[in-house]
Amino acid sequence: MLKVESLVKVYASPDGTVPAVRGVSFTVPQGAFFTLLGPSGCGKTTTLRCVAGLEQPSGGTISIDGTVVADPARGIHVPAYRRDIGMVFQSYAIWPHMDVFGNVAYPLRVARKRPPRAEIRERVMEALRLVGMDAMAARSATKLSGGQQQRVAFARALVRHPKLLLLDEPLSNLDAKLREQMRFELQELVARVAITTLYVTHDQSEALAMSDNVAVMSDGIIVQSGPPRDVYTKPRDAFVAAFLGAANFLKAEVVQRTGAQSALVAIEGGSGRFSVTLPPGIAAGDHIEIVFRPEDAAIHFAPMGGDDLVQGLVERLSFQGGSTECYLRIGGTIVRAILHPAIETTNGAAAWLRIDPARCVVYAPGQGR
Amino acid sequence: MTAVAQEAAASTPDPGRRWGELGIAGVLVISLTVLAALYLISAPLIMLLTTAFRGPQDLLPFEPGAIWTFENLRAVYLDTKLYTSVIPNTLIFTAGSVSLTFVLAFTLAWLVERTDLPWRTTVFTIVLFPLLVPGVVLAIAWIFLLSPNTGWVNVALRGVLGLTGSGPLDIFSMGGMILAQGVGLVPFVFLLLSAALRSMNPSLEEASSASGASPLVTFLRVTLPVLRPGILAPLILATLVTLEQFEIPLVIGFPARINVFSTRIYFELNTDSDLPAYGKAAAVALPFLVGGILLLLLYNRAIRRAEHFVTVTGKGYRPSRFALGRWKLPAILFIVIYLAIAAVLPAVVLVWASLFGYGVPSWPTLGTASFAAYAGLFASGKFWGAVGNTFLVAGSSAAIVTVIGALLAWTILRTRLPGRFVLDFVSFMSLGIPSVIAGLAAMLLYLSLPIGLYGTVWVLVLAYSYRMAVASRLGRAALMQIHAELEEASYTAGGGWATTIRRIVLPLLAPSLVASFVLLFILGFREFTLPTILQSPDNTVLSVIMWQLFQSNQTAQAAAVGTMIVLFVVPVIFAMRRLLLAQDGKD
Repeated sequence: MLKVESLVKVYASPDGTVPAVRGVSFTVPQGAFFTLLGPSGCGKTTTLRCVAGLEQPSGGTISIDGTVVADPARGIHVPAYRRDIGMVFQSYAIWPHMDVFGNVAYPLRVARKRPPRAEIRERVMEALRLVGMDAMAARSATKLSGGQQQRVAFARALVRHPKLLLLDEPLSNLDAKLREQMRFELQELVARVAITTLYVTHDQSEALAMSDNVAVMSDGIIVQSGPPRDVYTKPRDAFVAAFLGAANFLKAEVVQRTGAQSALVAIEGGSGRFSVTLPPGIAAGDHIEIVFRPEDAAIHFAPMGGDDLVQGLVERLSFQGGSTECYLRIGGTIVRAILHPAIETTNGAAAWLRIDPARCVVYAPGQGR
Repeated sequence: MTAVAQEAAASTPDPGRRWGELGIAGVLVISLTVLAALYLISAPLIMLLTTAFRGPQDLLPFEPGAIWTFENLRAVYLDTKLYTSVIPNTLIFTAGSVSLTFVLAFTLAWLVERTDLPWRTTVFTIVLFPLLVPGVVLAIAWIFLLSPNTGWVNVALRGVLGLTGSGPLDIFSMGGMILAQGVGLVPFVFLLLSAALRSMNPSLEEASSASGASPLVTFLRVTLPVLRPGILAPLILATLVTLEQFEIPLVIGFPARINVFSTRIYFELNTDSDLPAYGKAAAVALPFLVGGILLLLLYNRAIRRAEHFVTVTGKGYRPSRFALGRWKLPAILFIVIYLAIAAVLPAVVLVWASLFGYGVPSWPTLGTASFAAYAGLFASGKFWGAVGNTFLVAGSSAAIVTVIGALLAWTILRTRLPGRFVLDFVSFMSLGIPSVIAGLAAMLLYLSLPIGLYGTVWVLVLAYSYRMAVASRLGRAALMQIHAELEEASYTAGGGWATTIRRIVLPLLAPSLVASFVLLFILGFREFTLPTILQSPDNTVLSVIMWQLFQSNQTAQAAAVGTMIVLFVVPVIFAMRRLLLAQDGKD
């Protein structure tokens, strides 16, 4: 189990200090897969490096399996080599002067209680089998492809059965096809060894597909965290919504409150009304923003009456094979929707957009960016 | 870098041009380039080889009366002094200086590149400072500091320890030579080692740390082995440079009666009584020429291994620096002492000697400051002649080599000229020719050719221009980055060969051309060996003038020349530092 509380990391720079992490707290239960997701410079890698012990935090505490490994206030800093961790680096950091076996055996060979030779051999081969590299044990590290280097890096991180596995963008140096494949393998691997894992990435699809819990970071803080499905469907603000996938934003005005949490709103520049679920503190006449995913936008091409509909014009169509992307102009805004490829329509056609109130999120002004 | 080159090679499987596709201008330029390169490098060497087998020894190889003989080889290699003094001295001198250089340079490079040492960029600049100062200037400054009777350091030590007489230290000894040479070569090796340290992927060390290895284990099992190729290449290069070293053995070793191979060749040519012994000098040169070229082959291998070691690097997480902690003070002390000995004291003693004459500083002497030495220099036509010669020779040889080297690189990479790999090999081997041997070979060649070049400044230009390796390697590296399709696009747009070279290739190569010109200019500016061996009243350069003045006991004027050289070097160092720091995006 990993517990990070109020972590702060400040860098000294020639023109003052730069806060990289500004109070991050999270807990990764035993055996869970936890992802820090965010754009570059959001502090996710710094957080990971503090957990690894490669950086000294400026404040907060970190504990692994109940043992405090970093607490600057009490002068505690356990160096990386005294923490029971395995780490996979973005560049894999495979040592070029050793062969595959030597790389993987290293954590066992430098251990304070060095296992006997036969046991090292057995455990290295077991780790290599786990990543499907056992046939290449004797190969020189400089003769490995990117994907092979990555497998070796995993074997090296897992060989001493650490309490915590740290992964720093391990897929980002692979090409798109290989990345997809490695993602599945990685998922399977982590599930099989059932190890507590902290994963850092800027790729939302990796984060959503692999994690038990995701924390979206921005500007040195965690903006929102939770199971991937919750974070995806109920983004707390426009940043999270946009970062986790394609999102549509429509400006609207509250026309009439219809209940404690619901109201009818009018889309700016469009005709028709929507009923939505409102966050607290919004009254009739207020301006709001409605956010929804393209796959939740239903498009009709026959005139329809009633609420929860807004009319627009087809601006552009993009045939993708398995689907058609349809861009709809509503007032000054373009909304993206997904159509079944069998539906045929033309640019300039009139269309009606329907959104399920349960599938959209509403922000008060200022909350969305 | 390699990836780009591979991609270029993959997408244009056969970029080579046949002879006929070049046009008349192309054929003409390429032929001239190839001939010039082959001439500048091999003609003197062929002359040298011939001379070793021609006698009698005081005749030039093709003078009337010279015959084929093994007499020179016999005289040199059956002389036991070669085995009891010259070879052991050369080996001790080389091993000692290179070890000293490495210990100092690695410590400095590690402190500057990998620790949180304060004022790192300033230290970086000051360490590099002596790089451009000719070795003879440093050697003379060291004599001012450490000569047994009046050297500043010795006087100070005697005062502190209450000793009388001379000493306790003596620059005129093997130890003194090793100290002067070892410290003198530090800037060059420091530059190479810090580049190696900087290009190392820091996560290799972090991965070791995350695997449970302590800092010491990480250093021994990861840092050093990963750096090994990056350390080996500078090590071989430093050995090569020390082996061919001439200034220190001449200025310090001669009074100490310690001969190494370079001075041995020189004294065969400048005997006290007899005529120059050309044949014997050439015979001495042969094994060292072979040794130099073998070392260079080794170097080439080490470099290729270093390239193999390049692994995937992640997008830059800035390497975390090693916190010195309680070692900070000792580290700063080490740097201060090193800089005082290697840069500050030599500079101070030079300036002092130029103003006050060579003596121990004291309050009364302060009143006797005099610019007489400078006045004397500025009034002398010989000095201004040397200034002109220095710039003329350094500038024109750098220009010749840069142009020929770039064209050579193009020919080797972009044509299918038969024998282009031999060309590559020959141009690279030029780096392995010790400059004493190059000087001797040029001397033999131009004394024999009846074209009246010998003794003029142009013989220096030709002699300096054999170092093709720097320009052709730099040009080659730059050309590999330029996709051959850029040139092909020019051909398809209707540009001929000459137009394409002039309007596409040369502008794209410009940065590397400038870099190789500057580098070669610096080498030419520092050069002492070639102009000493080929000296005549008409072609003296600054470093030779300084040596001549020093030998004739005009100490203040010698120091003034040294000071002038240093003054010229200062702005160049700052320009170079900007260039280096800009390239590496250093803090």
